[in-house]
Amino acid sequence: MKVPLVVNGERVAVEARPDEMLLGVLRREFGLLSVRETCGIGVCGACTVLVDGEPVSACLLLTPLAAGRDITTVESLGGDHPVQRAFVEAEAFQCGYCTPGMILTAKRLLEEMPEPSEEEIKTYLGGNLCRCGCYVKIIEAVKLAAAESYPLREVSGT
Amino acid sequence: MSDPRVTGELRYSQDIELEGMLHARILRSPHPHARISRVDASAVPEDVVVLVPHDVRDLGYYGCQIKDQTVLAQEKVRYAGDPVAAVAATTPERAEEALDLIEVDYEELPAVFDAAEAAADGPLVHEEIKLSENDAAYFGLRPQQGTNVCHRFRIRHGDIESGFGEADVVVEETYFTAGAQHAPMEPHAALARWEGDGLEVWTGSQTPFNTRMDLAGIFGIPEEKVRIVCPPMGGSFGAKTFVRLEAIAACLARKAERPTKIVLDRDEEWLTLNRHPATLKVKLGAKRDGTLVAKRVECWANTGAYADCGPGVAQKMGFASPGPYRIPNVWVDSHAVYTNLPPNGAYRGYGQMQCTWASERTIDLLAEKLEMDPLELRLKNILKDGDRYCTGEIMHDVHFAELLQRAADAVRWNENRHGKGLCVMLKGMQTPSRASIAVEASDNGNYTVLCATAEMGQGARKAIRLMAAELLGVEVEKVGFPDPDTDAVPYDTRTTSSRSTHMMGRALEKAVEDLRKNGRRGYGEVVDEGGLDPDTGQGVASSHWHQGAAAAEVEVDKETGRFSVKRLHAPVYAGRVINRPGAELQNEGSMIMGVGTALFESVNFSEGQVSNANLSDYCVPAAGDMPEVLTHELVEGERAEVHGLGETALPPVPPAIGNALHSLGINITGLPITAESVLDAIDRRDEERTRSTLPSQEEPATEGVAGKNGARRTYAVAFGISLGALVVGLLLRSRRIAAAKRLVPRRLAR
Repeated sequence: MKVPLVVNGERVAVEARPDEMLLGVLRREFGLLSVRETCGIGVCGACTVLVDGEPVSACLLLTPLAAGRDITTVESLGGDHPVQRAFVEAEAFQCGYCTPGMILTAKRLLEEMPEPSEEEIKTYLGGNLCRCGCYVKIIEAVKLAAAESYPLREVSGT
Repeated sequence: MSDPRVTGELRYSQDIELEGMLHARILRSPHPHARISRVDASAVPEDVVVLVPHDVRDLGYYGCQIKDQTVLAQEKVRYAGDPVAAVAATTPERAEEALDLIEVDYEELPAVFDAAEAAADGPLVHEEIKLSENDAAYFGLRPQQGTNVCHRFRIRHGDIESGFGEADVVVEETYFTAGAQHAPMEPHAALARWEGDGLEVWTGSQTPFNTRMDLAGIFGIPEEKVRIVCPPMGGSFGAKTFVRLEAIAACLARKAERPTKIVLDRDEEWLTLNRHPATLKVKLGAKRDGTLVAKRVECWANTGAYADCGPGVAQKMGFASPGPYRIPNVWVDSHAVYTNLPPNGAYRGYGQMQCTWASERTIDLLAEKLEMDPLELRLKNILKDGDRYCTGEIMHDVHFAELLQRAADAVRWNENRHGKGLCVMLKGMQTPSRASIAVEASDNGNYTVLCATAEMGQGARKAIRLMAAELLGVEVEKVGFPDPDTDAVPYDTRTTSSRSTHMMGRALEKAVEDLRKNGRRGYGEVVDEGGLDPDTGQGVASSHWHQGAAAAEVEVDKETGRFSVKRLHAPVYAGRVINRPGAELQNEGSMIMGVGTALFESVNFSEGQVSNANLSDYCVPAAGDMPEVLTHELVEGERAEVHGLGETALPPVPPAIGNALHSLGINITGLPITAESVLDAIDRRDEERTRSTLPSQEEPATEGVAGKNGARRTYAVAFGISLGALVVGLLLRSRRIAAAKRLVPRRLAR
């Protein structure tokens, strides 16, 4: 079936089976290889994409259910997004496999909570696993991104 | 400058595609041990390529240490998950559908799952044990023909009988550690292509040259006819070593005359390689003043249906089991044992976690019996420079005492020891081994480093580029480091054992020196000699030692057995740090993986079938599972050697946590430490306290670091009241266990 999708701002109708998850379609039809499968059951967050701004596991989203909705992957951030810069600065990765999903979740976290506490970061990132165990530096990166995105609050807070 | 990891541009082997490529799937045995009586693939459509046991029967056996594997099971299957057939089709879905059309009949055979049982008796998993010619079989192997023991390693140092004869105090305990799954975020993936009689394989692998050797042996072609390219891995931790999927992919590609790729489904990871479950029996004797006089250890490493590097794991588990102590009389027997479980192999630490758990828990048992401070007991016996280890080698550049003291200081050990535990560890680096590297200069002032060190996230590539830049006197951006390719890079033993930064760093110094002489290309090689006599354990276990320690603070809810790790600190000896954030990441990642091992990771089986082969039932640590305070130290030395850090901070974590529980009288012998096991240990402790004539204590609901807020109130209560409490306690026990079960696993809602 043809499914109309809005992927990284581009409106495209793609051929997909009705039972096909968005993860496979994004990889195959769009070559968006930052969207990666690990668990296949929605617990690890490696395939996280933003659907209308909300983090969603693409391995569990049937493609027809994404019809007409705004899908964002890390490819659209370009590399200079504050969260990406913060991840580089904090060296918040090892193998890098979970990093795109982690960045998208962190991006949404900072939209919801501009100055999250450490506990809030840990809870919000609870659905994004990093087997290399980079959490210490990932939390640091989220804090850095928060400080960079909201420098005035940072100053007024001190 | 951005990084391909944050833009999502880094490509792993699962992402590689070749024109006309087919996708493969594997049909696996549902039985742990069975004779294959019939395989019928006639219903599979013609456009799908099928590989059945008959197709590969003339190919060679393989295995990195024992030659016990065939490309597909021949005659019988040895574990639930053993590959029996494989298919390749134009899409993964079409391949998956074709698997259902293959019919296999089995005659089930008796199976054995426990290592000690399989070693003593039990059905034979392999009738004959043949040694491998692969250079991963680098030590004297001692297979016990006619049994399930595929390697037996021994240490005989001093006189164990008279040693225990001198002991005033002896403790003895048996420990069990569960199997664990590496769970790299990227699954195993391999892509194979034939060009004439030459084979090319792209595979995320830590062992390009070992994989090349085994593939050449399977197909009966010269090694030069096999090319292995290793793209970066999305994590490995020991999982992506030696031949995993490469042989099946290569056979399908040959039959299809098209490139063929296999990417494992997540559940197949548990059927491909796990960490060795192990049983260790430890007996330790000391003089009244705490001087250690004798230690006897027996290890059974459950290597599953195929040996893989299990013999090496058992050997390392054995030679490190005495721990970093002076002990005049040591007796060790360590066995790698076949069972009908999925294969177990290299896993971050390579047997080290298992023996450190058993060894360091026993030190605390002894300290308790001696009524001695566990720190004092350790320091009294700790190995120092110039001391001789039980293998006969003289220790140099060792810092065990300092690491232990730093760990103790981090938890304010001198203030009180309630809810706190310590651990110290010595860990070998693979010996003997060889590393070689080439550096090429180009006209535009850039350099290329050609070496087989594989990148799996551990940062070896960055460390080597930084070292090269420093030696060459150029910016790091001027130094390129292409993916390891056996057609282009010089030989290296493999990227394991935390050896690459150390070994390649030394080879690199020589290569840069050679480049200065020759102008265009420099070559450097380092060979570390050594090895142990497998019958006496005498020789050189390690050309240099990895050294680590840890301290933990816990708080226990004594009603449910739930406990939390409040603080974890791990000092490790780094020698010289090349890439500080990378070194920190290794420590932090090791500690977090150690927390998973200590608290919840366990591969579970039901009649030989893995019963939790998914990331919902098998939990790996999330951000919220970290201890409240997680810190570490990189201890450096002047003009010190570079020490690999990939594994050092993992093995000390579970024993530090176990010993912290022990300080509360909670004696745990098995890993992972579940709430049930804590509750059982609390019950045992309370029963003992009640039985003894010692006055009982009324305690707060939680024990451990929370108790330090105020002095614990102690009342002497009448024996009768204690007995009454015991009766009530026993009645409540079943309800408490039920409560504890609801609380496990203790995870954040996702």
